[in-house]
Amino acid sequence: MLKAENIVSYKQYIVSISIIWILVIILLGRFFQIQILSYDRYSKKANTNRIRKITSTAPRGLILDRNGQILVDNSPSYVLTAIPGELKNKGQKFDIISSIIGLDSLEVSKNYKKYYRGKFLPTRLAKDLTFSQVSKLEENKINLGGVYYEQIPDRYFPSKVKASHILGYVKEVDRPIRKNLGNKQRYELGDMIGWIGLEKQYEYYLKGIRGTSFYEVDAFGREVGLAKGLDSQNPEPGNNIVTTIDIDIQYILEEIMMGKKGVIIVGNPSTGEIIGAVSAPDFEPDLFTGLMLEKDWEKVLRDPDKPLINRMIQGLYPPGSIVKMVTATNLLLNPEFDPNKYQRCDGHYQFGDRLFGCWQSQGHGDMTLNTAILNSCDVYFYKNVHLINLNELSSTFRSYGFGQATLLDIPGESVGIVPTSEYMTKRYGRYGWSKGAILNICIGQGELLVTPIQVFNYINLLATNGNAGTPHFVMVDKIPKNIAPKLDSKFWNRIKSDMKDVINHENGTGRSANPNVDGMIVFGKTGTAENPHGENHAWFIGWAELDDSKYSIVVLLENSGSGGTVAAPVARKVFAQISKNTQLSFYE
Amino acid sequence: MNNIHLSELKDVPFKIIWAVAFLTIMGLVVLKSISQHHVGGVFQNPFTKQLFFLIPAVLLSILILITPRYTIHKYAYALYAIGVLIVLMPFFGNPHAGTYRWLNIGLPFTIQPSEFAKVFTLIALARYLSDYNLQMKKFSTIILPILLVMLPTIIVLKQPDLGTAIIMMAPVLPMLYWAGARPFYLFLILAPLFSMLTAFHSLAFTVWAIVLGISIFVARPKRFMAIALFFGNIFIGLLSPILWNSLSKYQQSRVLTFINPEKDPLGAAYQIIQSKTAIGSGGLFGKGWGEGTQTHLKFLPVQESDFILSVMGEEFGFISILIVLLVFGLFIIQILKRSFLSKDRFSSIALMGFASVFMAHVFVNTAMTVGLIPVKGLPFPFISAGGSFLLTCYIMIGLILKLSVNYSE
Repeated sequence: MLKAENIVSYKQYIVSISIIWILVIILLGRFFQIQILSYDRYSKKANTNRIRKITSTAPRGLILDRNGQILVDNSPSYVLTAIPGELKNKGQKFDIISSIIGLDSLEVSKNYKKYYRGKFLPTRLAKDLTFSQVSKLEENKINLGGVYYEQIPDRYFPSKVKASHILGYVKEVDRPIRKNLGNKQRYELGDMIGWIGLEKQYEYYLKGIRGTSFYEVDAFGREVGLAKGLDSQNPEPGNNIVTTIDIDIQYILEEIMMGKKGVIIVGNPSTGEIIGAVSAPDFEPDLFTGLMLEKDWEKVLRDPDKPLINRMIQGLYPPGSIVKMVTATNLLLNPEFDPNKYQRCDGHYQFGDRLFGCWQSQGHGDMTLNTAILNSCDVYFYKNVHLINLNELSSTFRSYGFGQATLLDIPGESVGIVPTSEYMTKRYGRYGWSKGAILNICIGQGELLVTPIQVFNYINLLATNGNAGTPHFVMVDKIPKNIAPKLDSKFWNRIKSDMKDVINHENGTGRSANPNVDGMIVFGKTGTAENPHGENHAWFIGWAELDDSKYSIVVLLENSGSGGTVAAPVARKVFAQISKNTQLSFYE
Repeated sequence: MNNIHLSELKDVPFKIIWAVAFLTIMGLVVLKSISQHHVGGVFQNPFTKQLFFLIPAVLLSILILITPRYTIHKYAYALYAIGVLIVLMPFFGNPHAGTYRWLNIGLPFTIQPSEFAKVFTLIALARYLSDYNLQMKKFSTIILPILLVMLPTIIVLKQPDLGTAIIMMAPVLPMLYWAGARPFYLFLILAPLFSMLTAFHSLAFTVWAIVLGISIFVARPKRFMAIALFFGNIFIGLLSPILWNSLSKYQQSRVLTFINPEKDPLGAAYQIIQSKTAIGSGGLFGKGWGEGTQTHLKFLPVQESDFILSVMGEEFGFISILIVLLVFGLFIIQILKRSFLSKDRFSSIALMGFASVFMAHVFVNTAMTVGLIPVKGLPFPFISAGGSFLLTCYIMIGLILKLSVNYSE
């Protein structure tokens, strides 16, 4: 094997060795030239003429309400930094700092480790210093060599509303966060990134572009001026976004929900614009700006009422009677169903060996579809629901947008549960559930779970004969296409007139939602949802028509009783306020 | 066959092993300095990453050592085919930092297939050139091996990775020379390139024309051939500025950016200035371990790989550069010596190839850090941090050790 003999001659060997030495000598010569002959020049350059690239934070875009009032602004905030290479006697200096700004020196040194980027790069020690703290630090400058401060724009909330679950908050980019970012180059440690809510959803628009400037730095790493010949670039602020929120409406909603648990969403059903929304309890929007202390965080996190949960999109609730229009839709589509045929309600209904009660235990008497909706009679639906099966009902639920995300422009939506027979079998086993399950589901109980934003979309669909816009919080050119059941207009109109009677008929359960404003017609439906976690949830959904405009509303009050007595009056207050608000009118 | 006898142990090239060990340790010392304040996992920290990759690297070279030389020769073309396939693979995935250089196969690090392809190509070329039926004195014989290397090189150029493409082409001429090709032919291959490049400078072009004329005269080809070669080259030279000017500004800048990817003043110029400042300020003995201001101020770009020598120059001074380059020179000479003494042609030519690849790496990387040539993203063997690169360096060392010992197989 390998029969061919080596034919390299001694001459070739010498030529190749010579070439190697020539190349090595060229390289060594160059190093000799730079390191030995030009040592003074480069040494001086390294010590006195170092160019440092400094980037500056761009202010985030503002968030405005529908009339241009500022919801989220920026305000300058002082940040204390240190250049590690210049910082001698760290501990002592941290103690001085901690005594001036009132932050534990352990915390200061923790920050120092957290933000360390390099021996000669500014490392953040503390932020959100007040002007007087900065002045005091300035007085102690002699003892604080290597400590500097800079100004950065911070989030600031000038309006009277909180809207914290809508606006969301920004978070500081730390190492683990930065590691998982797709576009790392745009973020530096200590930058702000939208973490929740609109701040997150519209991060791309809100985030500006960092400015860069080149400074000459002296032997101690101190900046001695802008570097010549290298162009600086000013930071480019992020774009503003205009929300659909009306500050005054939002304010009323927040006032109403003070001390309560639940959700209100108010909007324009045709466009899907949300003009006000509250998830209560909420939190102060500036909770996350500034130096958040561990104990504050613990407090919010441990609160049994869970203020950090955005109930609008993440709360899963049994809807109760407010979904009876879904069941009605399904019944109306069935040719065997006669909406005008009387069914007797004695307050209960026997199905197999189980007794299903109506909410009114003495019974409603003879009911048609119209009276069953306005009285919210359960037995009427129990008696008719044999006409449809569970999967038919669940697909009608889905056609109204339940069981799926609404494509709202706030990330993190839950989808809820719309049970199908496959779902029931999977959950309880083949023989673990019976046909009686549909009796619960058709009146919005049982396994069915919905989010308030889905309910908002549902009422919008009812108010617009299925032509509702996808719910959204920010004015954009194009919103995603909304879902809608395909129904004949005679069915839509029939359901609407029933919902009108819920408010306007003398027996209607939603009478107290009517503000009795001239020219305003209110439609609606109440719901009282039983739930395993205590008192019933009170629901009211509906809309008001005034001067060609429509305003839809969802009210959910957790564990507070019956929808007609608790939730409907809330809607009345809101409708009354809307009729007074001159800025609000969306003519179609 | 695989039993190593004591007498053969004397033949083991210990000088090569010592050189590699010294350079690797030197690299770790420098990497430790720049990793001092690195936070993050094993693969974010250049020092621990290097330590991690050294394990499979050494294991691979041992694996190669116990592989019979005959097997390496037998599967040379199969390896070549694999090499071509793996450099094509990144094109089927998503671009990584805008290029198709890396393969992401779900590991915490990416793999650079062109590194492995360059070794495979080299072995295939050595096998081709070691065929004893080859008529090396004919000009046409040297065209096929060039095409053989051109195929993976063009793919790598498309990735685009000019640095690795240069490294792939680097051993071709030395290996042809080793296989007995006439130096004049090798000169002819390079001639049009020189004609085109010098054509943009009248003095350079005149000097080149004289060198060309003398070379052709000395080589004494047939008269017609001589005239054709000389005027052919002059013609190519004269034509190239015209061709260049016929390109639009946009196309010109595309070509220039390709040759020198970081043409913008804040890129290459900034990097070279920072690198030279770091090296120059190191002086004779350097600023000391971990004390390099240019390094730790993060003025130096890609300091763990492409500009590792600048870190060394700053912290350990000219002395360290002198030692490292001398050790490297001796390392290459040792390989060449083994190549010269080798009994079979395949081993001899392959060893020449490895020596050329290492030398090309060292020259391009070092010349770049001191501003002799434009910035090319190439690491320094054994010293720079790198996953795939460290592995291929040790694969090559395994092959060098294997082929440089004249066992009776």
